[in-house]
Amino acid sequence: MAVMMPASDQAVLGRRDKIVAALRAIVPGEGVIDSPAEMIPYESDGLMAYRQPPMVVVLPDTTEQVSQVLKYCFEQGIKVVPRGAGTSLSGGALPLEDGVLLGLGKFKRIREIDYDNRVVVTEPGVTNLAISQAVAHAGFYYAPDPSSQIACSIGGNVAENSGGVHCLKYGMTTNNVLGCEIVLISGEIISIGGKSAETSGYDLMGIITGSEGLLGVITEITVRILQKPETARALMVGFAEVEAAGRCVAEIIGAGIIPGGMEMMDRPAIHASEAFVHAGYPLDVEALLIIELDGPGVEVDELIGRVEAIAQNSGSTTCRISGSEAERNLFWAGRKAAFPAVGRISPDYLCMDGTIPRGALPTALARIRDLSAKHELGVANVFHAGDGNLHPLILYDANKPGEMERAEAFGADILRVCVELGGVLTGEHGVGIEKRDLMPEMFSEIDLNQQQRLKCAFDAQGLLNPGKVFPTLHRCAELGRVHVHGGKLAFPDLPRF
Amino acid sequence: MDTLKVRDAGDVEQAVRAALAGEQPLEIIGHGTKRPIGQPMATNALLDLSALNAVTSYEPNELIITVQAGAPLADVLSLIDSRNQQFAFEPVNTASLLGTPKLGTIGGMIAAGLAGPRRVKAGGVRDHLLGAHAVSGFGDSFKTGGRVVKNVTGYDLCKLLAGSWGTLAVMTEVTLKVMPRPESERTLVLRGLDDIAANRAMTAALGSPFDVSGAGHLPNSAFRGPQSGLGGLGDPQAVTLLRLEGIAASVVHRADALAKLLAPFGQAEIVADAASSSIWNSLRDVEPFAANGPLGAWPVWRIVCPPASGGALGQQLSRDTGGDVIYDWGGGLIWAALPPKPDAHAALLRQRVDAVGGHASLLRASVEVRRNVDVFHPQQRGLAALSERVRRSFDPRNILNRGRLVRESPA
Repeated sequence: MAVMMPASDQAVLGRRDKIVAALRAIVPGEGVIDSPAEMIPYESDGLMAYRQPPMVVVLPDTTEQVSQVLKYCFEQGIKVVPRGAGTSLSGGALPLEDGVLLGLGKFKRIREIDYDNRVVVTEPGVTNLAISQAVAHAGFYYAPDPSSQIACSIGGNVAENSGGVHCLKYGMTTNNVLGCEIVLISGEIISIGGKSAETSGYDLMGIITGSEGLLGVITEITVRILQKPETARALMVGFAEVEAAGRCVAEIIGAGIIPGGMEMMDRPAIHASEAFVHAGYPLDVEALLIIELDGPGVEVDELIGRVEAIAQNSGSTTCRISGSEAERNLFWAGRKAAFPAVGRISPDYLCMDGTIPRGALPTALARIRDLSAKHELGVANVFHAGDGNLHPLILYDANKPGEMERAEAFGADILRVCVELGGVLTGEHGVGIEKRDLMPEMFSEIDLNQQQRLKCAFDAQGLLNPGKVFPTLHRCAELGRVHVHGGKLAFPDLPRF
Repeated sequence: MDTLKVRDAGDVEQAVRAALAGEQPLEIIGHGTKRPIGQPMATNALLDLSALNAVTSYEPNELIITVQAGAPLADVLSLIDSRNQQFAFEPVNTASLLGTPKLGTIGGMIAAGLAGPRRVKAGGVRDHLLGAHAVSGFGDSFKTGGRVVKNVTGYDLCKLLAGSWGTLAVMTEVTLKVMPRPESERTLVLRGLDDIAANRAMTAALGSPFDVSGAGHLPNSAFRGPQSGLGGLGDPQAVTLLRLEGIAASVVHRADALAKLLAPFGQAEIVADAASSSIWNSLRDVEPFAANGPLGAWPVWRIVCPPASGGALGQQLSRDTGGDVIYDWGGGLIWAALPPKPDAHAALLRQRVDAVGGHASLLRASVEVRRNVDVFHPQQRGLAALSERVRRSFDPRNILNRGRLVRESPA
């Protein structure tokens, strides 16, 4: 394992039987799993290159049980790793050898649907898609749509601040969540926000969203739901040069058009997808854009015309416009199957997730091409072009010695390029363990210390999901110390009035 | 009182470090337009950011602008307007409500976190703040977020800074999302509805697929004062307002469809473009309760609640107190001007607001009243304790805007 995890606490491991018994007293029956064979499914999440059996798995089904489990672990100094559906691509739910894996899989109930206030109150184990399905008959849906939406849980979405292809127009999880019930490591149950547009006081909901399971365990979530747009149509536009596609993206935005989705694929991704799903993608282009407009028919028709004209002016070589729902879905089928399609042409692949300013797309692609040559590994690129979120898929074969390490080094180089171009390490997959050690590329020690102080406000002993997000762990007491600079009292440089 | 006029982030660091050394809490100001909001503060020096006023970069095609915190909001708005862009959350201009001369600074806009009518569709200030550089109460400059919309790298400290009233850190530079300004707008006006029926009409509109970007209601009494933006509405009787924005053909289509959907509530009139936008500016800025209007001496509450419970809550409040209310966010935001009273009716109002799961802040009141009332909504004990730990994680010695958010409990 290339990523170092916190050292195991041998004293805790020595008390394992006692701990299992104590957890059984809180969560009876099948809710505590401690046999090695049954724990195998929990050894890793969507970042499958990393595996670690937990000390024990607990699957509570009430908030009260979650509270008691956490309180017990808090008092006993036992680490806890929360887990939703286990679809994280950054290793956010990777267990610890000496940690309790706390699964929220039994929190599967939608508690309330309130159409008048346009919210759904749900337990965290409900899948993203199930929320949309529950309100579909009334014309509503839940907007964020990560590509794993059939499997990923809403609790995990909140923990990771998940995105999806439509977040350019409709926002990420953080823009669509109004409140939650969260259990702190002390066992304390706290309710934040609700059906109102804003919470009172500091926006703790905003900080919990995307906190990757380091601040607390979410047991209930209130999400906003929206009415489905009347209609949606898509354009599939091919370009002989990546630069022209990048220009087209910038000009659409510059013209004041915010498409529902705007995706780009490069030649290797186009070829892999076309071979897999036969969506009718042009094979003689270097870049393909799928641009979806949604809204009332009259609006979509007009915007389709405007986007088509912009595409032509940007040098498109092919352009197809969906004439039916079936055709629109076909355009998307290739894009949505891009990951498994690449999986067919390469034994293994590593999916990266940096974000760059839109305007830097062509530069980023050229740099990725150079890096591909340097690391002698292939790459297929899939982008959320509208918001500059890149998903380079690095192709490798884990059975060939050294290839996985090279793939990881290639990936790290790509993320460094993202930061260098004014972007960030992760757009939607989270830091987890995967990008943890790259955090100093983007943040100074002072920046990271401020983030860790916030962690201390929730979990002063660092028991919740340790080893994730932060490259180095500091003691909270040390972080909280104020250094008074006595000699600089006068600040003579400051003009006084 | 000392005023420290800073020129860069280094100055801010120095000032905060000196304040730490001298145990002298600082009040942070830009143009000072929102100083009358909050608990009276226990500070004795002003940290003035108004000279930190440059636009660092504006990239219309990236939909972002990076500015220093002291940049005048008016200048930034006119800059982005020149490229047909806007802050989609419609920052509230508190000048007329508070009787202050200016619009204030970008930093003040973010720290106050007051979003206008489009919040129902576009989100609030917190949804548009992408990145920030700030100086914590440790006296250290830190950055958070970035210059791109899609970013989950580390904790999203921007969310905490928005609406923190300067109690966590001194922002020095921020990156905000800008959005294209809609090409056209139309407002449907329904007349004569009471608060409950109006609330139902707004709920129906916001639950429709017609992409409503504003839903407000002004009861009869809102028209008793001089009305700059509302004058165009004619008859001084209750109006329910529903805004549609976008390309012209789409707006026409949706206005038509929405009028049909709302037919049970009455025949909708249509107000277009400039006249429509001046109505929404008036509502956004709470003009019916202007400091120089007939209710200028009344305390004003800002109540945020589940939108469908707004009508009943507002109606009850105005009956119980003899006060006036206006509604925004489809009922989810109530501005309430209540007849003067030493506690500004806090006990009664908070009891009613708590009952529907909302919260209320006293945005306008005299210093005497604010000394005796919790200006910001008191929180449950666990949440309050957690919030205080969060505050201390940024400012352990309580140097920044000490006492503005939470009233010292009487000894």
